[in-house]
Amino acid sequence: MKGLIATRLMQLVAVILIVGTLSFALMYFLPGDPALRIAAGRYGPDMMDNAISDMVRAELGLDQPILVRFLSWMGDLVRFDLGHSLVTGAPVIHEIGLQLGYTLWLAVTAFVLSLVIGPVAGAIAGLFPGSVYDRVMLLVAVGLRAVPPFVLAILFMMVFGVTLRWLPTAGFGGWENLVLPSFTLALGLAAMSSRVMRDAMMGVASAPYFIHARYKGLSDRAVVMRHGVRNASLPVVTYLGLQMVYLVEGVVVVESIFAFPGIGHALVHAIIARDVPMVQGTALAMGGLFVLLNSVVDLMCLRLDPRLRRAA
Amino acid sequence: MMKTGSLAHLPAGLAEQQAGGFWTTARMAGVAIIVPLLAFAFIGPMLIDTDPLAQDYDAVLIPPGDAAHILGTDHFGRSMLARLAFGAQLSFVMAFVTALTAAVPGILLGILAAARGGLIERGLVALSDIVLALPGLLLVLLLLAFAPGQFGPLYLGLALYLWVEFFRVARIETARVMTSPSVEATRLLGFGRFYIVTRIIFPALAGPMITLFAFATGSAIIAVSTLSAIHVGLRPPTPELGAMIVELMPYYSEAPLQIMMPAAAIFLLVLALQLLAGRKS
Amino acid sequence: MTRALLARFYTLAGILAVAGAVETTGGITGVAMAGANDDVLDIASPLEISGLDPAKSGYLFSRMQAAETLFTVNRESQIVPMLATGSQASEDGLRWEISLRDDVTFHDGTPMTAEIVAADLNRAFERPGVLRQAPITGISASGNDIVITLSEPFAMLPAFLAHYSTIILAPASFDDAGEVQTIIGTGAYRVDAVVPPLRIELSAFDKWWNGRAQIEKVSYLAVSRGETRAMMAQSGDADLVLSLLPVAVTQLKGNPDVNVTVATVPRTRLLKLNLAQPFFDETVERQALSLAINRKAIAGVVMRNTDLAASQMFPPEIRDWYDANMPVLDFDPQKARELLADAGWVAGSDGILEKDGKRFDVTVRTYASWPDLPLIATALQSQLRDVGIGLEISVGSYTEIPAGHADGTLEAALVTRSFSMVPDPLATVMEDYGPGGADWGAMNWHNAEAEDLIADLRKTTDGDVRAQMQKKLADILQAELPTIPLVWSELAMASSARLENVRIDPYEQNYYLADLRWAR
Repeated sequence: MKGLIATRLMQLVAVILIVGTLSFALMYFLPGDPALRIAAGRYGPDMMDNAISDMVRAELGLDQPILVRFLSWMGDLVRFDLGHSLVTGAPVIHEIGLQLGYTLWLAVTAFVLSLVIGPVAGAIAGLFPGSVYDRVMLLVAVGLRAVPPFVLAILFMMVFGVTLRWLPTAGFGGWENLVLPSFTLALGLAAMSSRVMRDAMMGVASAPYFIHARYKGLSDRAVVMRHGVRNASLPVVTYLGLQMVYLVEGVVVVESIFAFPGIGHALVHAIIARDVPMVQGTALAMGGLFVLLNSVVDLMCLRLDPRLRRAA
Repeated sequence: MMKTGSLAHLPAGLAEQQAGGFWTTARMAGVAIIVPLLAFAFIGPMLIDTDPLAQDYDAVLIPPGDAAHILGTDHFGRSMLARLAFGAQLSFVMAFVTALTAAVPGILLGILAAARGGLIERGLVALSDIVLALPGLLLVLLLLAFAPGQFGPLYLGLALYLWVEFFRVARIETARVMTSPSVEATRLLGFGRFYIVTRIIFPALAGPMITLFAFATGSAIIAVSTLSAIHVGLRPPTPELGAMIVELMPYYSEAPLQIMMPAAAIFLLVLALQLLAGRKS
Repeated sequence: MTRALLARFYTLAGILAVAGAVETTGGITGVAMAGANDDVLDIASPLEISGLDPAKSGYLFSRMQAAETLFTVNRESQIVPMLATGSQASEDGLRWEISLRDDVTFHDGTPMTAEIVAADLNRAFERPGVLRQAPITGISASGNDIVITLSEPFAMLPAFLAHYSTIILAPASFDDAGEVQTIIGTGAYRVDAVVPPLRIELSAFDKWWNGRAQIEKVSYLAVSRGETRAMMAQSGDADLVLSLLPVAVTQLKGNPDVNVTVATVPRTRLLKLNLAQPFFDETVERQALSLAINRKAIAGVVMRNTDLAASQMFPPEIRDWYDANMPVLDFDPQKARELLADAGWVAGSDGILEKDGKRFDVTVRTYASWPDLPLIATALQSQLRDVGIGLEISVGSYTEIPAGHADGTLEAALVTRSFSMVPDPLATVMEDYGPGGADWGAMNWHNAEAEDLIADLRKTTDGDVRAQMQKKLADILQAELPTIPLVWSELAMASSARLENVRIDPYEQNYYLADLRWAR
């Protein structure tokens, strides 16, 4: 267990360094002039021109040699100084803190919702394979994943926001604003995890220990809960780690549609505007978050399957 | 709410299925869907002589069922039938290639990691974590910026983060199988690693991997569509299913059927793949 | 066992959420966004807050009447004083005296003085902004006047002082480094909170010099997707929505709870051409290109209004530039083919024209921040193919265009150009079509007569003389076509039926919030 935590910590450090270097390098080698892009981000297309971007270039020292800029950036990073946004001028940490907060609310709510919906639906399907319920669930799961999240979002907005008027269509600030966006994400996640849970549950149901438990005379409920769910959970929990990726990516589009000022939205704008400190900051935030959540998943895996403890 | 004896059907049912062999109802349904779909996507473009790029400003957003335009037209008056066929071809091929590019290394590395363990496993897991931690969107956007509007970087970027899915699940499943009694028995009998891998591990992985593959294919198409939604993606006027959904979205109140058509195509493809994948044996 | 684990996991998730929430407490526990049927005026538009500096987001604050400029433009498109009371130029035109109002207070109570105004203007002059384009040599305060000295006569000075980068802010808005920390202006609404990049909260200011706003609270949300904005208008989550897609306009017009107002704005979508390229170096080639374009179809299909098909660069609403007698930009593909043939272009085997071994294959750069641009490009591609011109569309960031202009790699670009940034189109025209061209204007175009006209126009103050010269300039642009106008623009605004006195400003300077009122 301790070894695992140490490993994860080392990974976190490695992730920070590599993600940071990579994003700097990629942004630097990207074709196009960063000064132009930053000027555009600041002043908008109608006012932006080459003269203004020259001023920006001089102001930000973008004409310095790359090694100088990289070293100074690395130096800042080590001191946890993420710099200032080249577009807004505000400290990156402030901006990310705010945005990460919003995204966290969204992501965690979506994740929790999907944990409630997905595995439950999938487990029931796994216990009654071939039933009407199972087939309907298949169609629903595939349907949810075959539709781009942005279409789902607009659909929900249309139904719940405009037609039924149960919830606000967009914006942020109250818990009502969280519902639609997190639901959009949660359903996509739940679709996948329900299928994985179903397959796992079916596998478990045919496993020797399961049959053995029934022969032992245990009630169905005990069998399912003690032996079924726990073992079936293993691939599901493994998959949870991967779902982070779906969440993190899905968040971008959902934030854009529901006008939620989160990390995804910020990352896209930062890349387009060549706001290197913001890109690095957001990539680091997302990366760090991901490693953290994966550590949690690892711990859960270890608890669920003692066999893996030997391997870890 | 579960009554005693309600699970009685389970082991027996599964045994039946295993005895019943390959062609379950689900698989047959899958075939029934995918064959016409693939025919439409690959033979269709050869048979349809309407140009998917030809614009007709007098025939904008005509609903399907029209004499001249069987599946209607889009916002530029282009034939939906032609665009769907060519778009399906492009989308299916690219999604399949992407999923394959992600699956092969992913699975092989996963088996390797679980089989060898130790430093190799740790290294690979660390690598996969780092790749995942770098936001896939960032990767794709940056790769695309180097070669805007072209297919290569787009799908390469997607494959780069899809492989980890295959790697992780393959690794965990292989680990589980390796500790099962059948593998122990095989080892005791003296069969080599190669035998174990091909005869036991591959079949055990087949189920989950095919499920993953089905979803990866769908994910690839959806990812392209999502990128189009934030104005990053293929160059117009290339017909592509995901991009078509995005282009037609603003017209949802006037022409909802036009949006449903590419969405239905993607849905059917993913559904068919899922059905073909069948249940874990 | 599993239950315990799950419980532990949920707790962890909760902790994470709380940790994140600590940072966002202000935002999340604030008033729930966009409630329908309350007395807060909810506004939605696509423009985000990219920083508090006037040059960056000043337009948001001036449009919402939180900050004001010395001059502004009225409904008759005339420049009129706002924070100023009038202006007087010297005989030689090199010295302007601008008298200021004496009854203006900032939102924090400090009175507006000439010294404060001079300081603000000097700051705007030194930083990126429009004032640098004017030949200003000095700005100072004298009594209750502002004195501006110029290096040459410049008739458009008041118009430049209507630009949003010259909004007047209280000294307390700036920190020691001269950066804007809060917006303390002089307008009808006081800024209560700014949550960049998406939200601004305002409330009515009691001591406004021009009366008092009727609606007490305003909340602004930046919503980048057109579909979302349209739905917010429909559901009532937004009472005022700016910038709607043409499809949404049709849809909303059928909704009894929503009023849709549409105005033509001085913004033209045009094709910028690099005249150094062999494709465009001869005037007949450019004229042929123009003849091959079916503007009515583009305007009809993309913008849903065939009246927007541009017959010349400036729409009829810009009275001093629009020339009704000018020969119209026509659609005649046959003539286009003939002209191209005359210029030496011959059709190759696949239908694409060739000349001296070079194929007529052009890469057009455009951007998606205006959603109709890629659509217009797609239509163009198909139309030009008919006459043998191959178009490759590259949708990227709009920065690719100034970049391509600077390094000469740009072949053609599809852009949208506003003529009302400074509410006098000449300001933009003199930059775009002056000597050397500009990032968003002509590229490698030389015309002595146009250059002379522009030089004269900068100094001329007489309205009628100016109008004549401007029309002459417009004629030259029409004949030579250094850039090819495609379609004009409309601004669509949706407002709740509960709102009265809704007015749309074609110059996009002001939302006239102070005049708005809830219907009884």
